[in-house]
Amino acid sequence: MLNLKDRVQIQTVSGDAAVLGDVKLIPQSRSLTVHWPYGGMVWHRPLAMLVQRGEQEETIPIVDVTRIAQLGFWGLSVLFVLIAWAVSLRQKRRG
Amino acid sequence: MTESKSGVEILMTKTHGESKALVERLFEVAKPGAVFSEPVVVGDYTLITASETSISMGFGAGFGGGSLPAESADEGAEASSEMSSEGGGSGGGGYAAGRAVAVISVGPEGVTVEPVFDLTKVALAFLTMLGSVFVLGSKMRKAAR
Repeated sequence: MLNLKDRVQIQTVSGDAAVLGDVKLIPQSRSLTVHWPYGGMVWHRPLAMLVQRGEQEETIPIVDVTRIAQLGFWGLSVLFVLIAWAVSLRQKRRG
Repeated sequence: MTESKSGVEILMTKTHGESKALVERLFEVAKPGAVFSEPVVVGDYTLITASETSISMGFGAGFGGGSLPAESADEGAEASSEMSSEGGGSGGGGYAAGRAVAVISVGPEGVTVEPVFDLTKVALAFLTMLGSVFVLGSKMRKAAR
């Protein structure tokens, strides 16, 4: 029987380095893994690209602009629905 | 008391084992190779695609059987064991999706990350927000009356 820690795992993993000329690229990603008794799910997204050029090292974050825009609109939707619910509740109390 | 496994039970156990093995393979998606593509060289540039992947699956199986007691069996029945029956079933479902998030470009100017904007997904989220604006508007109008 797996405990919760084994059932739900969030991992940040580094992939195999790709060497392109004098540049070494190391991809980094994050995964959410959920096990349940008869199945499971994995959500895996890119996190950053570690760029090594000689002595210099730079981490370039990978920003998911689509997800940010989606979350923004969904957040506004929830906010508007909550306001509508509050207005409705206030109206009922007034009778 | 030892009972030999019935055909259905053996089949269900086998199906269960195979499904478990399939689920274990599912978690191979958690490896970074599933997110970053192999580098593709186009002229002076080398491109690597970074994608978000999600996969889920589940399955279930069950079996059962029953038999009529000898006294309740029809008179024509030869033996109560002939009145027993068993059956089983299994099913499963899954979902998998992938979406490009960014393209990493390595060229003469250095390494750049170009985000990929999925207009369809954003437009759908915008329409959801419009729906909530409509709900809010109608509530406000009612409150103003």
